[in-house]
Amino acid sequence: MIDYDYKRPDSLEEVFRLLQEYGPRAGLIAGGTDVMVKIRNTKKAPEVLISLRGLTDLAYIRKNGHYHIGGLTTHRMLEQSELLQNELPALYEGASRIGSVQVRNVATLAGNICNAAPSADTAGPLLALDARVTLQGPDGERRVPITEFFTGAYRTVRKQTEVLTEINIPAHMEQFGSAYWKQSRRKAMNLPIVGIAVSLRLDNDTISDSRIALTVAAPTPIRAYKAEEFLAGKPMEDAVLAEAGRIAASPECCTLRDSLRGEAWYRARIIEVYVPRMARLAAERIKKTH
Amino acid sequence: MKKVSVSFTLNGDPVTADVPVTWTLLKTLREYFELTGAKEGCGVGECGACTVLVDGKAVNSCLYPIPEVEGRSVTTIEGIAEKDGTLHPIQKAFLENNGVQCGFCTSGMIMSAKALLDQNPDPSEEDIRKSIAGNFCRCTGYVQIVESIQMAAKLKE
Amino acid sequence: MPDYLFVGKSIPRTIEADKVTGKAVYINDLRRPGMLYGKILYSTHAHARIKRIDASKARRLQGVRAVLTGRDIPDVRVGFLKDQTVLKKDVVRQFRDEVAAVAAITPEIAEEALSLIEVEYEPLPAVFDPIEAMKEGAPLVHETDARGRPVKSNILPLPWKFSVGDMEQARKEAAFVTKDHVSTTWVNQCCMGTSGCVAEFDQSNNLTLYSPTNVIFGHIGRISEYFSRIGLAGKKIRVVNPVVGGSFGTKLDTDIYEFIAIQLALNTRKPVKILFDREEEFRALPPRQPAVFTIEQGCDREGRLVFRHCEAVLDNGAYTSWGATTPSVMIMPMSSLYRVPNVYFKATCVYTNNIYAQAMRGYGNPQATFAVETSMDSLAEAAGIDPAEFRLINRNQPGDETPMNLKITSCGLEECIRAVKERLQWDEKKKARQKTRGLGMASLIHVAGGARVTKSDGHGIMVKLDEFGHVDVIESGTDQGQGSPTVISQIVAEALGVRPEDVFITFGDTALALWDAGTHASRHTFMAGNAALIACAKAKRQILDMAVDIIPKIVKLNFKRMKRKDPGFAEPDLDYGLIADPEDLDIRDRMIFPKKEPDHPYFRVPISDILRNGLHVGIGESRVVAAEAFYDPPTEMLNREMKGNLSMTYAFGTTGVEVEVDEETGDVRILNLVAAHDVGKAMNPTLLLGQIYGAGYTGVGYGLTEEIKVRNGRVMNPSFRDYQMLTAMDVVPIEPVIVEPDDKDGPYGAKGVGEPGLVPTAPAIANAVYDAIGVRIRDLPITPEKILTALKQKKGGMNV
Ligand SMILES: Cc1cc2nc3c(=O)[nH]c(=O)nc-3n(C[C@H](O)[C@H](O)[C@H](O)COP(=O)(O)OP(=O)(O)OC[C@H]3O[C@@H](n4cnc5c(N)ncnc54)[C@H](O)[C@@H]3O)c2cc1C
Ligand code: FES
Ligand code: FES
Repeated sequence: MIDYDYKRPDSLEEVFRLLQEYGPRAGLIAGGTDVMVKIRNTKKAPEVLISLRGLTDLAYIRKNGHYHIGGLTTHRMLEQSELLQNELPALYEGASRIGSVQVRNVATLAGNICNAAPSADTAGPLLALDARVTLQGPDGERRVPITEFFTGAYRTVRKQTEVLTEINIPAHMEQFGSAYWKQSRRKAMNLPIVGIAVSLRLDNDTISDSRIALTVAAPTPIRAYKAEEFLAGKPMEDAVLAEAGRIAASPECCTLRDSLRGEAWYRARIIEVYVPRMARLAAERIKKTH
Repeated sequence: MKKVSVSFTLNGDPVTADVPVTWTLLKTLREYFELTGAKEGCGVGECGACTVLVDGKAVNSCLYPIPEVEGRSVTTIEGIAEKDGTLHPIQKAFLENNGVQCGFCTSGMIMSAKALLDQNPDPSEEDIRKSIAGNFCRCTGYVQIVESIQMAAKLKE
Repeated sequence: MPDYLFVGKSIPRTIEADKVTGKAVYINDLRRPGMLYGKILYSTHAHARIKRIDASKARRLQGVRAVLTGRDIPDVRVGFLKDQTVLKKDVVRQFRDEVAAVAAITPEIAEEALSLIEVEYEPLPAVFDPIEAMKEGAPLVHETDARGRPVKSNILPLPWKFSVGDMEQARKEAAFVTKDHVSTTWVNQCCMGTSGCVAEFDQSNNLTLYSPTNVIFGHIGRISEYFSRIGLAGKKIRVVNPVVGGSFGTKLDTDIYEFIAIQLALNTRKPVKILFDREEEFRALPPRQPAVFTIEQGCDREGRLVFRHCEAVLDNGAYTSWGATTPSVMIMPMSSLYRVPNVYFKATCVYTNNIYAQAMRGYGNPQATFAVETSMDSLAEAAGIDPAEFRLINRNQPGDETPMNLKITSCGLEECIRAVKERLQWDEKKKARQKTRGLGMASLIHVAGGARVTKSDGHGIMVKLDEFGHVDVIESGTDQGQGSPTVISQIVAEALGVRPEDVFITFGDTALALWDAGTHASRHTFMAGNAALIACAKAKRQILDMAVDIIPKIVKLNFKRMKRKDPGFAEPDLDYGLIADPEDLDIRDRMIFPKKEPDHPYFRVPISDILRNGLHVGIGESRVVAAEAFYDPPTEMLNREMKGNLSMTYAFGTTGVEVEVDEETGDVRILNLVAAHDVGKAMNPTLLLGQIYGAGYTGVGYGLTEEIKVRNGRVMNPSFRDYQMLTAMDVVPIEPVIVEPDDKDGPYGAKGVGEPGLVPTAPAIANAVYDAIGVRIRDLPITPEKILTALKQKKGGMNV
């Protein structure tokens, strides 16, 4: 039968102390929307759940040069942030399409990426926005680019005693337009069949820089580097974008699989179609904000 | 089984629950307080039948660990009518406009609507639909639920 | 139009206020003193021999009160064809097979106990495709029939066959013929309230079963049959409905979990509750019956249908519940949707090791109508006739008698088709075509005045009034959320002359109610309404009889009082002849009055005065008002040829849709959905719309997104996360159109409306998709993958 102890520390130090005390027998819980579901479904739980909900000063969205998002920031806060909607629309879209209001009211951005589901809705946007995450542990803190964060399905570089305290998006992303598409059968309460995030910068009508990120396209969320390389210096034209889509959907970039939610060929098709569509949208958004 | 003692405000009253630490808010409401208005339709956050308000925000009580409720304020469907039994405008509107059929989704639906209207007294149809996207209903096709919430917004004015 | 006070008005659902305050008690909420919690252990194989079950560890767990396996309970067969036992002892034939059950003091302990039961299986060859299962040499799902005789094939002994006219001749006469393969899949009813029951025996082994079934008396029949085999013959069974959290067909049969709860209660001598969780709801509840069809139709040069020929194969799954009888309903659209003189329909039900199926809103009608209506579209095209026009040419009309002998009385099909055309701007849009947008329509016929599927299609009702003017109605049906409490209160209030808020209704208790065939087949408003009219007429007569005696007494008493107050008061000269005969009196809005002078200053009295004075009269004279009625309409059961007028009247309707298809992604967007329904009479327009919206929405899910994915017998998506029921964000702009031809047999002219809205939705979408992009998807649901694949085939090898 499920049994665990539940600790609600109110400082990071206390969290680290507990993490060290219990070692692998402890698990962190933030919004609990992954943790509680997993406990119920597997009927297994760590011996101790260490709640991060007491760390209320980690719930913030700030811009001072870079964009800073605290480790306890909920998707609902992201969804209601005008800053995000205007300047980092891909992340806004990723966060606001997660689950339901009820889920977003408690679920955190940090939880979404620490859980590291191949389908995590904010992973694509964070990849497309050059995010870096701050991991703090008893021995100090380190910063990891999001591109190096995921190591496999449900696996990350985070050490057992580390807490993700901040997600940081560099200031240069201000000059990018971005967009995220979540392909799903219905319009809410769904995991993506495939997710496509694009950010780009234009120099007149030439694509000077771009990021293309995909979810459910490989065991981890990925960047489609080959497609990005192809776009560099090319004009914003249908044929160019279509080719980028084709490259992104090809084995050069992803390892698509058949699963219950969708077949590989269909995922490829959606990537092919939505890389151009999101690129267009991202480009429009640059013009709007700058 | 480890137990906790959790003190919080429930529908305006200070209460304390002594329950196993593994219990969710939903289980505590239903079994400890015998408030069975919030329903379990899935137990994993996917249906919204268990929706209650915690500090004014709609949450899935089936995923809410009971220790997290300490010091907070919880509102359930049983706590939104007036003490004299006068229905809340949303409750009235649901009856008036056929926003309820079998009623199983209704408690959660009304609580989601309440969270919305408390924040946004004049929501668009899109706002309403977004706010109840996590509340499944098989009976109504949502149309008259949306209309009920629109009507409630007017009644509240 | 008669001037009704309540009928036809959108009376709010105030009678159900408990549902908006959290007070309503569903099975999920019901607790009885000393109650135990039952849980079921299911098979982990699609087909296997049970080599060993060891429950000893589970039995030793603290808090466990009973552990049952197939060896611990009588080996009694149950189900429609008696093809299964309650707990499976030797062989499991599907993943959801119940192999053991536990009762414990908490659900958690019961769950824990399940995990301690060891079962060793020896896998057997299994078959999952009904077509494969029909072949010689396929693994047999059942080695013997219910009586233990060996069987040779997986084909069920249920030969559904219907044949009228001369098919050979008709084929010759047809100028245009099309032939299509159509298939539909499993979909879950998705009741938001999960299934469950509480079984409780009294000291003398009489049973009370709290169950959300919508066929309370059918339950008693099946359970008493079971009782007779387990030594409880003659015991009283009472079935009581809690508030029902959705039904949609799931509550038609007595489910295995209910027999298990009964067995656990019997064993423990305690009330036992079994409550499904959502995963069980998806895995262990029989869903809608899937079917594949080969349908061929022909018409003459003018577009008149000359024949319809259809063969269906139904994947029965491992056992037989109501799913296997859906062909009886399929025969209705097959033979009677549109005028068609020559019809052949054959359905074969085949055992497989898949999950078995049962009823869902519309029964077999959505499946069959999907076949008929997508085929109608192909045929219209072959004949070069506009699909709407083609349907008008062939429409059913009042006075028709169809090949299965359905007698069509009122019929608003033509108005429905025309309304859809008009609202969708059909002709205009067909002319000014927009690429990737398309229009489609489909119609339906459904029973709407009962459905004689058992020998009695009766419905009983009792009405009594208390001395305060409150009316208690004891209804034999089940309220599953359809709005019946409000509609019945309107009918009773209208018929008795009280107000809806004076009416209190008790549903679903076999100990109180008269018999009823069940709240299914869209029959409740029609049947209960007619029964209520009869009972109310009787009760009203009793009240008026009393009034004739009592009004003069009240009047005279009043005069006496007035004289006492004012000795100068002169008693007016009244014409007591006005109230001498009950026929001369009427009741309306709580007041009794002479028909000739409704506003009479002395003879107009509140109904409660009469009731009170009638009761408190004195020794030997007291009277109460109570009446019952049992309405069993003059309809026919299907005969051996599958013919018979099984309903008093039929519902018609047409759904039209406009869609936009994204040819690159295969996504379908519904721009507009017009649902025109012949409802006889809208008893309560707001509630009626609720049925149309709800059914329409479920129909859109059936058409586009919903599908239980079954792989090698296993349900792969047993959660709302993966089962794609629509959310509030999936906006479907439904525009209902109400057609009211007023039916002579319906209560105040009403017909049944519960199921129709779902029936034509999916084929209308399929037809619109074809109109938009030129590919026909005949396999439900219409997914983007299927659209892209079809487009690729059409274009001959685009790089998909
Ligand atoms: C009904 C429902 C719908 C959902 N829909 C979506 C969807 O559409 N898209 C989607 O991507 N996801 C979805 N999810 C999954 C989930 O909501 C998200 O992944 C969410 O962001 C997780 O956040 P949380 O705070 O609830 O995490 P938790 O469940 O608390 O934690 C998740 C994991 O992260 C770890 N963790 C949490 N915070 C930290 C931290 N600060 N530092 C280190 N480790 C940490 C935990 O130990 C745990 O392993 C859904 C879940 C539910 C129940
Ligand atoms: S029970 Fe909580 S969301 Fe379904
Ligand atoms: S009213 Fe039945 S599920 Fe919503």
